[in-house]
Amino acid sequence: MTSASTTLKPPAAVDHREPLTAALSRMLRNGGLMAAVVLYTLYSALPFLWIGTMSVRTTSEISANHFAWPETFHWEKFRIAWVDSNFAQYFWNSSLIVVSAVAIVTLLGAAAAHCLARYNFRGNRLVYFILFSSIVFPPQIILISLFQVLVEYELYNSRLGLMIVYVSLQLPLTVYLLEGFFARIPQDLFDAAKMDGYSDFEIFWRIVLPVGMPAIATTIILNFIQLWNEFLFAVVLLSDQGSRTLPIGIRAYMGDYFQDIGMIATGMMIAVIPVVVLYAFFSEKLIQGMTAGAVK
Amino acid sequence: MAAVHLENIFKRYKGTAQPAVDDVSLSVQDGEFMVLLGPSGCGKSTTLRMIAGLEAISEGSLAIDTRKVNEVPAKDRDIAMVFQSYALYPHMTVADNLSFGLRRRRVDSQQIAARVKSAAGILGLNELLARKPAALSGGQRQRVALGRAIVREPKVFLFDEPLSNLDAALRVNTRNELVRLHRRLGATMIYVTHDQVEAMTMGQRICVMNKGKVAQVGKPLEVYRAPADAFVARFLGNPPMNILKACIVQGPSSAVAALGGSELPLARWARAALPPAGELLVGVRPEELQLHEVREGGGTLRGVVSAIEPLGAETLLMVSLEGDAGDVMARLHRDVKSSIGDRVGLTIPDEALYLFDAFTEKAIPAADVGAP
Repeated sequence: MTSASTTLKPPAAVDHREPLTAALSRMLRNGGLMAAVVLYTLYSALPFLWIGTMSVRTTSEISANHFAWPETFHWEKFRIAWVDSNFAQYFWNSSLIVVSAVAIVTLLGAAAAHCLARYNFRGNRLVYFILFSSIVFPPQIILISLFQVLVEYELYNSRLGLMIVYVSLQLPLTVYLLEGFFARIPQDLFDAAKMDGYSDFEIFWRIVLPVGMPAIATTIILNFIQLWNEFLFAVVLLSDQGSRTLPIGIRAYMGDYFQDIGMIATGMMIAVIPVVVLYAFFSEKLIQGMTAGAVK
Repeated sequence: MAAVHLENIFKRYKGTAQPAVDDVSLSVQDGEFMVLLGPSGCGKSTTLRMIAGLEAISEGSLAIDTRKVNEVPAKDRDIAMVFQSYALYPHMTVADNLSFGLRRRRVDSQQIAARVKSAAGILGLNELLARKPAALSGGQRQRVALGRAIVREPKVFLFDEPLSNLDAALRVNTRNELVRLHRRLGATMIYVTHDQVEAMTMGQRICVMNKGKVAQVGKPLEVYRAPADAFVARFLGNPPMNILKACIVQGPSSAVAALGGSELPLARWARAALPPAGELLVGVRPEELQLHEVREGGGTLRGVVSAIEPLGAETLLMVSLEGDAGDVMARLHRDVKSSIGDRVGLTIPDEALYLFDAFTEKAIPAADVGAP
């Protein structure tokens, strides 16, 4: 026999389900975020998808219905653009000029940024200020002067001339971006390398460049995209058809009275492929660079 | 291994009137573990960097054994350094970090492999050789930094506050490891720290620095028991030495120090060593003070308990002395019974009293003690 005072009651059941209001609030928050992400993805991707569909449709099909899905995929348009419209030559010109310019800008810019960040020499801040201030001015204001300079040095209408112009256009921003990153590399790393017997140049090559790769990858991607799509300087400084770059080649499809929309779209798809490949190659480093300071 | 000799070393920076390192002379014997101890900004790291060759010497002479190395580049001084931040190359594995310096010196690959294996064995890094620094804990990174110095087989090891980024428990373990390493290698080591516990437990001799100058050099316990000035007296010891202003009163047979209504006998000091009149500084370590009820008589301070800090193993008592003479901290047995507001007496044993000149703050040695 047990008395009421000694009877043990089972513990009250604990309800682990979250309250309804909290659950609804969480769903709304996540759902809202998801909706924003989906909307932005559509906003970015839909134009690209549209161009992609137009690149395999003829101009007359596009005129009949701008947004229709291709009934027949006209893959021969790519061959027409590549061979008949000389896109192969333009692609080669763009690749040669832009890849060379980006390589030179990256090496020169990294070296300059390292010196500005690491060495305390007379005029350090003045050089930095001059470089930085040249970013502020729109590049178009130097177009006519550049034209005259290139003509003077017989570099007008040459791929070498345009490459040099591209280097000078992108160098200040590259130095500015890299200087900030390099300045954050701890001095102890340099001291340790010095004590290990490495020279200043070896330290730059073996320590600064690998450690700074996230920032360098960022500048490579930015510079490549900027220069690959650059039109104004290319159209002014290159007159010879054989030297044309891709943006000028695409422009050729735009006449005064008629625009071959289908071929323009095909040309743009050809032009975008290297950018996508480059981004895929460097994207990991780019994200590393963006998140480098996020966690101690 | 080698001896390191600094003679009248100065380091001046442009735009500053006061040198960062001001006439430092120091000899570190072959195989000795010397600790440079001092507060932040005292010049100890700058001195270390000048020995390493990472800072130029403004004036003076630095020699390793008999070779003057003022103008010798860092890489040619045969010195290895362990940095406070470890300075591991983040894009290299542990094995590459250990071998990086050796590859530059064109040591053959078999030798490199052998030295890396040996250092990794000594420091327990064998399992970590393929990892990059980001995948290591703080203690592991510290050991890699140490390993990078060991593989170089240098004449001198330099340490720039290597334990300051570790947690307390790891610091104790690593401290002991370093001491064992020193015994094992028999190497000359110069160690910079602001932590007096590290200095007292690791150094064979310590060099206390203050405002760019050497305050005192000696064995840890010698410096602790016979500080050269009030700065050294306060810096070593936790809690620091109590230092109070007192007035000299000349008696018939000996002088006394008048302090807060009490008189502390100065029989241990020769009259000639003491100023004839005026102020002087009186010092006593917290652990030397003896607590008792208030009583009259020489050698006894009187005051009111203003704070009590029971630490478990001991109790710290803060007493505000009578006559606005200042506050003293006493380190007492854990079971001491006292309350805030109690009027208490504190006795200073004769041999526990220290005197310092009121103006120069230099120690006035007792007649039975030599000058520090």
